[in-house]
This record gives sequence, structure tokens and C-alpha cells, in this order.
Amino acid sequence: MDTTLPDAFAPPQSSSSAAQGNEVPEDTANVNGAAPFVKVDDPPKFDLESYIANYTGRTRFDRLYLIGTCSTLLSTDALKVAVAEAKSGKDVGRYEKAVRALSEVAPNEPDAKLDLAWVKDTQRRVRAEGDRLELELRGYKNNLIKESIRMGNEELGTHYHQTGDSVSASKAYSRMRDYCTTPNHIASMLFKLINVAVERGEWLSVQSNVHRLRNAQSKPEDQAKNQPKISAALGLAQMHSGSFLEAANSFLLTDPSLGDTYNETITPNDIAVYGGLCALASMDRVELQRRVLENNSFRNFLELEPHIRRAITFFCNSKFRLCLDILDAYRADYLLDLHLQRHVSALYSHIRTKSIEQYLVPFSRVTLESMATVFAPEVVGGEARPTSATSPFVQELIRLIKDGVLDARIDLEKGVLVSNETDLRTEVQQNTLESLRSFNEKAHMRILRTSVLHAGLEVRSHDRKEGPPLAKGLAGRLSRGAGILG
Amino acid sequence: MTVSLAELTAASARLHNHTDLSDELYDDRIRDLVAYFRHLLSTDALSTFARDDFLLDNFDPSADSVAFLFILRSQIQKAKERTSENLPGDVWPTGKLWIRAVHFLKNFDRVQARYVGQEWRQLVELAGRAAQAASKPLLGARLVRDAMLRLDPSCAVFTSTHLLLVRLCLRARTYACALPVLDRHICYFPALVGRADSKAAQPLLCSEQESSLAFMGDASGLSSKLSSKDYLQYFLCGGMIYMALKQWRKALHFLGIVVSMPIAGSLSMIMVEAYKKWILVGLLEKGKLCPPPSLTSPHAAKMYQSLTRPYITLAQAFERDDVGRLKAEVNAAEHVWSTDNNTGLVAQVMNAFYKHTVIRLGKTFAALTMADLAEQALPWPTTEEDAESIIASLVMSSDLGARLLHSQKRTSSTMLRLSAVSHLPRLSHEMEMQVQLRNEGRSLKTLMSNLEQSNHQLGLSDEYIDNAQKNQLWAGSGEIPASEQVGLDMDEDIMGDLH
Repeated sequence: MDTTLPDAFAPPQSSSSAAQGNEVPEDTANVNGAAPFVKVDDPPKFDLESYIANYTGRTRFDRLYLIGTCSTLLSTDALKVAVAEAKSGKDVGRYEKAVRALSEVAPNEPDAKLDLAWVKDTQRRVRAEGDRLELELRGYKNNLIKESIRMGNEELGTHYHQTGDSVSASKAYSRMRDYCTTPNHIASMLFKLINVAVERGEWLSVQSNVHRLRNAQSKPEDQAKNQPKISAALGLAQMHSGSFLEAANSFLLTDPSLGDTYNETITPNDIAVYGGLCALASMDRVELQRRVLENNSFRNFLELEPHIRRAITFFCNSKFRLCLDILDAYRADYLLDLHLQRHVSALYSHIRTKSIEQYLVPFSRVTLESMATVFAPEVVGGEARPTSATSPFVQELIRLIKDGVLDARIDLEKGVLVSNETDLRTEVQQNTLESLRSFNEKAHMRILRTSVLHAGLEVRSHDRKEGPPLAKGLAGRLSRGAGILG
Repeated sequence: MTVSLAELTAASARLHNHTDLSDELYDDRIRDLVAYFRHLLSTDALSTFARDDFLLDNFDPSADSVAFLFILRSQIQKAKERTSENLPGDVWPTGKLWIRAVHFLKNFDRVQARYVGQEWRQLVELAGRAAQAASKPLLGARLVRDAMLRLDPSCAVFTSTHLLLVRLCLRARTYACALPVLDRHICYFPALVGRADSKAAQPLLCSEQESSLAFMGDASGLSSKLSSKDYLQYFLCGGMIYMALKQWRKALHFLGIVVSMPIAGSLSMIMVEAYKKWILVGLLEKGKLCPPPSLTSPHAAKMYQSLTRPYITLAQAFERDDVGRLKAEVNAAEHVWSTDNNTGLVAQVMNAFYKHTVIRLGKTFAALTMADLAEQALPWPTTEEDAESIIASLVMSSDLGARLLHSQKRTSSTMLRLSAVSHLPRLSHEMEMQVQLRNEGRSLKTLMSNLEQSNHQLGLSDEYIDNAQKNQLWAGSGEIPASEQVGLDMDEDIMGDLH
């Protein structure tokens, strides 16, 4: 397999063109090796055809390719669609990548052979088209008509984008900035930049462009129209940078008027899933209830993905096993999602840790066994001593306690988890005593030091007795002693 | 020239009933009396009484301190001349003169003693020497301590007697005996007085003083000439006394004082010694390698690093929870510990290591078997039985709040139950806490009044600091002579803390 990268931002292979070849190192850096290669053996719950029909644009191929390379069950189907998808476009690099992947999983498929004639033909057409657009742009520039130059750049950018040369695409789009005359133009340019950045996985640039969009002074109705897209893109970027709470907030702010308008990047279903998972991973029960379940605008999204809604409801009702069951059932789906794949484990472990935390809240002591039935049912069935110190579940608890997440202690004799009693009175007393003591010690040290200096008794090599230092020098040396005044 | 007993008693009697006298008059009279006795002493007029063992019965040390002290002094002098020994037999404990000296030091009048500081100090030192010579340092230690506290209950001024006391206590192994003095914070040195306001109107020695600093100046003779070595030794010895009493925190404070003393030039070996002990005591108290106090000069800190290698590697092994390496380090540098006289401390470090490991476990577990314990604290030393006995001894010495429970079945291993925060009964814990809080509060108050006093001595007031800052701003605009730049780094510190 030539690409071991789990996400779809894999660089076009060097065979496509020299211009694209030089972006390879840059692109691999974006991926950061964040996730190891994922293989999903479980069958996902979605239907490939209808799933992919939700999307438009280049993300279709990225998603298909991801499913094809990661899922063992769907690989042939997905890759066949991916090949067809690539062939309908102009991106030769993608076509070659898809065919290579397909030939690895199903060498006998008729699609697994490279259609050399198509490749050559497309390459020629792409080059010709590119040359023509460059030429036109040069012409516009000579005429100095702003609007034409802007449109020329836009066309060129779109062309590069479609052919997979995203670096040149973003360059071309950026060049539009000087020729934009209305806020609308700026907004559309920024959206194009965001789309390219999302495809390339450059989340910082997504965020900065989102901020530029926010600050753009467009008309209120345009602002309202753009808002859902802006929130969705920002949420996506925040999720990728690991700040789940901010991401959840952004997704929750997304207006349901988003509808199908942003299908080249994200669908309302995705918003529901991403927002729901991020919220589950970062908010407590009250917040979830108030800000997610009782959020009228977000309800529209949640209705698209009822199981997320159910999971959140279960979490709020402290039915953690059911919540985790739902999430586990959909794990395969999320692992095959373009944006979620790399964050599934982090999100899930956050949610799990939070569930354990919340589960413990009402108890002062709880048996390890009952916890294990909720959080590790497979252990209870399988092992002889599910609650011994060596069982993975107890190890997990130990880790959580050591990290300071859980304020409790394990009693292995009785097999219970005892939450620590905080004795506020004693604690305050201890703290007071400690701060008094350390202040006294420090103050004493400094007073003494001042006296030593003043008496001219510093430690000297030959211990000669000398007069007191001059007042001038003293002031400088006192600077440390004076700290006691605070 | 000779004087009669009647003359002496009459002279001394002028000081009686001093409550009726004004401070000035009282001061005059004591000064006159001291001058009179100094004169008598120099003209050998008291020699007639040298052999009169009962002469001193005519004087009450609490009322006639001056007379008593001078007569005793002349008698001791004569005894020395007679036997041509430095410490004649009469002065040794249980000797005639010893009993007199004890009687005086226990009962002298603290106001009158201020006027005869030098004689007083010499008597205390003599008593200390005699007690040591007779191998009864314990007697000397008590005597010196009580005399010091009698003269100056605050004990805030460092004198040479302080050093004498801690040495006697260390020799006598009566560590607790020194505590009343050690626990009082020393804030001044005698040299500080006199210079600061020699011109200013000095308060009378006999008047009620807020701070003992007023009568413990250099001129009083209550302390011999001091050098940095003296106070370094005092704090090091004091630290050792606290170590012997296992009051690690206070020991750490004393050692920290030595370690962080300002240096002009090179380090003193006493400071290096102290730093070695500082590392070990830091491990015992806090379970980690403590960095030297923040006041330590960077130069000194660097020197410590290079001079105390074995100690630092030992501490690092401790911090890394590596029992194997810790043991290896302890064994490898055995000669270092013994030449530095730190073997005892190092031996305790091993115990402290087990203690800290178990305490850390106590944060995670409420109860676990010894087998689990071995698994959790991976580098647990030896067999389960050994571990059990180590823990048992920790529990017995109440270093660790835990209980061991044997199970009835022979096969399963012992259960260790670690109790939470406090295992003391609620009420006694509370009481103890309150006592401690009150003590600390009191010492805070003393420190604050001492701070005010030393601010006064230094002429440091808000106005001065304002003025100094203004001067700096002013100097900062022009070119500054290199020597003055030293004073420039005071601004942020002082100002930052003031507001």
C-alpha cells in the first residue's frame, strides 16, 4: 500500500506533476503522524451509497478513499466508487492513487487497471486549460480591469483546486484579495481559502480565515447567511486542534439554516455527531442538559442523528452503560469518518473518564464490582478476579487516581472505591499553619540576613573583621531583605 | 587600702528600693556603683575578703547583683592565683565557688546585670568551662540557658553565649535543653547597635526596653567579639540539635540559614557541611531534593553543586523511586558519609524512602495486600516478610498512619490498611492544632516587632525608599558611576513588595 496515512490529506503522488511533487513534505507535516494507520473490521452502520450522496465536491473522493483504505468490509466497493469519482473529475493524481489502492485489495477488478489513455488525455487537457487561464489572466492584468482580474484569479484557483494542486489554488485565491471590491467578494474568497485549507488539513489557516470572515464588514443579512458555515468551519478546526469544549461551543452555535449549503465540507449530520461527541467529552451533565438537549436550534441537527441524542440523554440520566454502548456501536462509523477518525479514541476516553467521574459523584463508597459491570462488562465475564489489582479496569482506575482525575482511593480488601473525605476544617487549619510557618521562616531568614549585612559579618575568606559596609552598598544588598515587607 | 563589709553593703544598699527612684537616678547610681567596684577590684581592695567563705551570705544576688558579682569575681581571681590553675577546684561543680556562681546566675537582677555585661559573660563562660572540665556539661548547659533567658527573655540578639550553649548541649546530649533558646528567633547582632545611633539620645540601660537590642550592644560586653564563623557554627549546631530531636522542619530552617548566608569571597566549609546535611534533611522531611533557599547567591549554589556530588546523586536516586540505585549509592559512598559524620542521617534516609513510597501509595489505595504493594511500588526491596516488618516499624514510630491485618488463612498475604488524613482523635488533634497556630502567631508577632526595630535601626522608612527611588531616577538619566549601579537593582523588589 503506497499510502499509510489514515486521513485523506495524503499528498498527490509524485507521478502527477512536478509542481505537486514539491508539496509532499509540507503535507506530511500537516498530518503530524497524529494517528497510526487504522483498520476497521467491524461493519459500519451506514449505507455507503446514501452516505456518500450527502456530500458534494472533492470531499466525496477523500471520504471514499478513506473508507476504502480503512474498512476491510467496504474497501472494494468504496474504492470502486472512488475510482469512478476521480475519473469524472480532472485530478489525475487522485485517479492513480485510487486505482493503486484498489489493485491492492481487489487486483481482479476491471477498474484496478490504469486507464492510460484517459490519464494522458486528461493531463493534456488540464495543462491546456491551465495555460489558457494563465494567458487570459495576463490579458486582464494588462487591461487593468479589477473585476476581470479577480475573476481570472478565481477561475485559475478553481482549476488548480479541481486538478489537485491545492498549493497553487490557495495562492491563486489569495491573489484575489487585492481585486475584491465588495465585502461579498471578500467573503467568497475567504470561503474558497477555507475549503482548500480544510482539504489540506491546515487548521490554523482555517481558523485565521474564519476570523477574517468574522471581521469582514459585510451586510447583516450576508453575515447571517455566512454564520452557519463560519461556525461549522471553526468548530471543525477547533476539534482538530483538540480543544473539544470550544469545538462543541462552535457546533452548538451553528444555525440550522446551514442545511445542505455546505456539503462540500460538512453535512448537518456531521454537525450533530461532531458537536454531540465534543459536548459529551467536555461538558458536565447540567451543561449538557441545558446547552445541548434544551438547545432548540441544535435540536434540529440532533434529530438527524437520534442515537447521539439518545447517548446524551442517557449520559444526563446517569445511564452510563447505555450511553457507552451506543457510542461503542457507532465506533466503526466514526472511525471511517474523514474528520472524526483521528479523534475518536481521544473523545471516547474523555467521555469514559467523565462517566466514571460522574458515576462516583453520589457514592461515598462503591464496590469495584458494580463499577466494573458498568464500565468494563467484558472483564466481569472473562476474568477470574475482575477486581484484583492487576485487572485492566482497576489499572485504569489507578491511573485516573494518580492523574488526579478521581478523588478517591481503592480498597482492595473489601473491593470498594472510597471517595476521599475532605475535612475542610482540618485542611484550612493545615494550610494556615503551613503558610504561617513558611512566612515566619522566610521573614526570619531575611531579617537575619539584613542584620548580618548591617553588622558587616558576611562570610569572608579570611574572616577579617571590618567596619560596616557603606550605606550606599547596603541599600543594594538590602533589596533582598526588603522582600519580607510583602 | 581596705574596705569594710559595712561599706560594701552600704554602697550596694543604695540600689535597693529602686522603684522609688527615677530612671535617671537609678542609672546614675548603678553606674557609680560599678565604677566603685571596678576601682576596688583594680586596687586589690577586695582581697581581704578572698578567703571569707561566708562574706557572700551578706548579699542577695537578686538585689545586690553588682556587689555579689564583683566579690565573687575577686574570690575566683584569688583562687586562681592561689592554685595557679586556670580552673581551680573550688570552681568545679560542687565546689564552694561553683555553688556561689550557680546561686548568682539563677537569681541575678537582670537590670543590674546589663551594667556589668563583661563580668557577667566571663562568669557564664567560666561556669561552662568548669562544667565541661568536670565532664558534667549537663549542669553547665542548664545553668547557661537559664542565665541567658534571665538576662534577655527574647534572646533576639546573637551573643557568644549562644554558641557556648549549643556546644554544651551537644556535648551533654541534652538536646531538648537548648530548645527554649533555639526556638526564639535571633534577629540581630550586637554590632548593629551603637553604630547606628551613637549620636542619638541613647535610652537609659535600666529603663524598660521594648527590644533587648538596646542594652545588648557591642559596648555592653555581653558578647565577645563575633565573626561570621560564630553564627554559622551556632546555626549548624542548632540544626544538629533539631536533627537529633527529629524536628526536621526546624533543622531544615537552621541549615537553610547557614546555606544562604551572604558571602564576600569564598564559601566557608561550615556552609558546605550545612548544605550536605540540608540535602539529607530535605529528603527526610520532604522526600525530595530541595533546592538551596532562594536567598543563596548563585555563585554559592554552583559551588555547593560541585562540592556535594555524592549527596546529590543520592538524592536523585531517592527522587526517582529507584530503590536499587539508592542502596547502591548508599553503599558506594560509605566513606564519604563516615568522613562527614553523616552516616546516621543516611541510614534514616532509607527509612524515609519506604515511608514516602507508602504514603504515595496511600493516596491511591485505602487497603491492599502486601503482594499488591510489592507490585505497585515496583522496586520494593525484599521478601514480603521484610517489607511487612519495615512497614510495621514505620507504623510503630507513628511515621505512617496505617494498620496491618493478618488474615486467618495462612496462604493469603497480609492486608495493609492505610488510613486517610488524620488518625488522631478529633479533639486532641484540634487542640494540638490550635496550640501550634498560637505559637506560630506569637512568633510572627515577635518577628514583626523585630522587623520594625531593624527598619528603625537601618533608617529604612517609606520616605527613605521614596527618596532613594527618586535619586535613582535622577541618576539614571545621567551617567552612573559603576559603583553606584549596585544600588540600582533594589527598586522593583522593594517597591513591588510595598504596595
